[in-house]
Amino acid sequence: MDATARPLRVPPEMGPYAEKHGLFQLLQNMVEKLLIHKPDDPIEFMITHLKQDNDDGKVYGKCCNSDVLQLIPRICIVGPPASGKTTIAMWLCKQLDAIRVSPETLLLEELLELTKEARAYKEREQEIPNALWTNLIQERLSNVDCIKRGWVLEGFPENREQAWMLQSAGIAPRHVVVLYAPDVVLIERNLGKRVDPFTEEVYHTTFDWPSDPLVQQRLVEPEGVSEQETSKKLLDYHRNFPGIFQTFHKILKSINADQPCADVFSQALAYVQTRHRSAAPFTPRILFCGPPGSGKSLQAALIAQKYSIVNICCGQLLKEAVADKTKLGELVKPYFDNGCPVPDNIVLKILADRLNRLDCMTSGWVLHGFPRDLDQAEQLERIRMIPNRVFFLNLPYESILERLAQRRIDPATGERYHITYKPAPSPDIQARLRQNPKDLEGKIEMHLEIYYRNIKDLEEFYENAFSVNADQDPHVVFEYIESCIIKPLPQKS
Amino acid sequence: MRTGGFEARVSLGNGCRGENSQLPRRRLVLPPPRCKAAGMASAQPARTYSYFSQPRALPARRAYRGPAEQPEEPRRYANLMYDRRVVRGSTYALPQLPWGPQPDPLEVQRQEEERRKARARKRAKEHLQTRTPEPVEGRKHIDVQTELYLEELGDRIIEVDVECQTDAFLDRPPTPLFIPAKTGRDAATQIQEGELFDFDIEVKPMLEVLVGKTIEQALLEVMEEEELANLRAHQYAFEELRNAELAEVQRLEEQERRHREEKERRKRQQAQVLQKQKETSEKIAARAFAQCYLADLIPSVFSSLRESGYFYDPVERDIEMDFLPWLMEDVEKTLEKKILGRTMLDSLIRVVVEKRLDAFDQANTSQAKVSGHTEVFGQADRASSQVSSRQTSVQLNMSHQTETQEPETKC
Repeated sequence: MDATARPLRVPPEMGPYAEKHGLFQLLQNMVEKLLIHKPDDPIEFMITHLKQDNDDGKVYGKCCNSDVLQLIPRICIVGPPASGKTTIAMWLCKQLDAIRVSPETLLLEELLELTKEARAYKEREQEIPNALWTNLIQERLSNVDCIKRGWVLEGFPENREQAWMLQSAGIAPRHVVVLYAPDVVLIERNLGKRVDPFTEEVYHTTFDWPSDPLVQQRLVEPEGVSEQETSKKLLDYHRNFPGIFQTFHKILKSINADQPCADVFSQALAYVQTRHRSAAPFTPRILFCGPPGSGKSLQAALIAQKYSIVNICCGQLLKEAVADKTKLGELVKPYFDNGCPVPDNIVLKILADRLNRLDCMTSGWVLHGFPRDLDQAEQLERIRMIPNRVFFLNLPYESILERLAQRRIDPATGERYHITYKPAPSPDIQARLRQNPKDLEGKIEMHLEIYYRNIKDLEEFYENAFSVNADQDPHVVFEYIESCIIKPLPQKS
Repeated sequence: MRTGGFEARVSLGNGCRGENSQLPRRRLVLPPPRCKAAGMASAQPARTYSYFSQPRALPARRAYRGPAEQPEEPRRYANLMYDRRVVRGSTYALPQLPWGPQPDPLEVQRQEEERRKARARKRAKEHLQTRTPEPVEGRKHIDVQTELYLEELGDRIIEVDVECQTDAFLDRPPTPLFIPAKTGRDAATQIQEGELFDFDIEVKPMLEVLVGKTIEQALLEVMEEEELANLRAHQYAFEELRNAELAEVQRLEEQERRHREEKERRKRQQAQVLQKQKETSEKIAARAFAQCYLADLIPSVFSSLRESGYFYDPVERDIEMDFLPWLMEDVEKTLEKKILGRTMLDSLIRVVVEKRLDAFDQANTSQAKVSGHTEVFGQADRASSQVSSRQTSVQLNMSHQTETQEPETKC
């Protein structure tokens, strides 16, 4: 094989495949584990690790055709006493089907040998040493159920030393949720704390009273909730907290615990389901959909300029093909002359040619003006040009009319003006201004009708699309689009 | 014996009540009752009538029939000719059995009438019949023969046996030959040699023909043989040619086949080569892609491990874990020492102040100056002079100051 005779082409499916399955993250996790555990037989270890299959979880989402990787929860919940850690931890466990690990549950675990030691210490009323805690937690977390279902560690690293020991043992939580609230509130809250001895759930006399009368009767007041004890614990907490904050500051999120439980929980859940930015190489393949006049070409041009990717406008592409007098261009010309829409297969071929070129494949592309309805979208998928970010620009009807009907162009200089937003500087230029016949109201309405008819199908087809309000300043819209591109795709639960 | 005039009818047998009720039970198969009424459509299975009884020797019978009552004795035989159950007379009328399940009222009526008539006839006959009057009382009637020659009246019938016998059979003799009588006259004649014809002359044409024919035949045969030989030769030649051609054709075919196989093989090889090339190129592409994609893997792994804290700066950790606590302890110790020093100083000051106060109190009476003494004690004295000269206030101030220093160092 001669590289000059037949240059080597990377098949275009490899990029989307790597993205879809998160190969970079997968391999990164595997190598991390290798480095942490340092096994004697690395290949065997890697095989076992891959078989365990729990990096980002291959839990296939029910909502869409493509696989939605759901994160396996590895969460740490830290906070002052009476901030609601146990409640939040329990709710998160129920929602995400994870295992709750906390100092109390660890002491009650029957299956670990270290618990006996720990209990011995407790009976002697001594502080359980941090090393023992760490070993205990490590043992618990290496259980199969924790590996498969994920874990929520509650109230554990209480100071910097414990946090370090956890990290040295290789246990790295993916998200750390920190609850904070003013001390006064916490002291008062602690006075109303009640515990159900059977289910270990924590209730409150004012905020979280159970509805079941049986449960109500069972509730007991836990020990250590008097004002002095709470304030002592709070002092300890405030002393140790900055250490923990520094250790975990990159993956931490603070949530105000002085709100109703449901709010705290929803914030925590939303945070826990976000992914952190991965270092995987990312070729953006962006698709803009929207009514005429919503600013697709403008945004596409801005993005292409900033991130140096290829900007492809479908109409422009066809015109270029006609101008270049290529074979396909010859086919397209008669349709252009008659003003009829070009048939899908020709458009698709031209588009496929353009998108398969090297510059598009290596640096990514931003496409606008192409799939206008469901058939075209399906055909696009069939030639395996799947976008990884889709944006729907929304604009109300009046704004569209306003933007389009008032467009003018100066035939002498070629400058484009708008009567309201960018008026012509001098009256003689204004006198010259002409309107593009396709910007007449009738034509606009026709285009819009077609667009509204097809938009629903397209929205259903691209489920992971972002909706952007295009009725704002272009730079605002641009920043929003940028943030959506840069951040990892949000998970749908 | 009954004479004609009575119609014998087939009786029904078992269930019948009639004149034949005394007949012994014989096995009879009943024919299906056929009713006159057309409405009766009951089709009973058609069973044929059959009758059989064991063969019996005829018993001796008397020569003469007894008086009218005697036929009432049970008869142990039956003669078909005189069987009352056989239908006699015209069978064109619709058959009807006398003792059917539903006797037709008409029939019944008719039978009753007949019976009545029979009875009437009988009565009439008896009426007309002249009989001998009854014997007078004390006397008896006896039958007497009055003919010329007496006849022996016996019940026994005179039976005579007669036999006859034929001669034994002889074999039939064979039939004699049939020689018909000779008719006509015999006559004879004789032909001598040379009288009829000359053999040599006569034979010539025949011979000629024969020989000619034979030679002709021979010629023909030879010609035929020649022709056959020619044909064979021709055929042989043709076969040779044909074989040659066949061989040629086979050779060509073989060649063609080899070519084809060769082509196929070459094509397959080429396809394999292409496939390999494709695979290789794919592998290379995959490798290149993977290399490019994962170029940043190791650095990213290390940076993430560093972020998660697994790779920590040992110096920093060491400083935090070992050095700082030691430092803190040392600072604590130093501070404690300082505090100790200060408390010592406090107590010294207290003692001195007490003594002084005592001395002052004592000297108060002699009105000694208080302010001159306090200069010696500097700060502590000034503090004590601001507040009242109570010992506890001095101590409180001191301890407050040292206490506020402690939390600052412990942080």
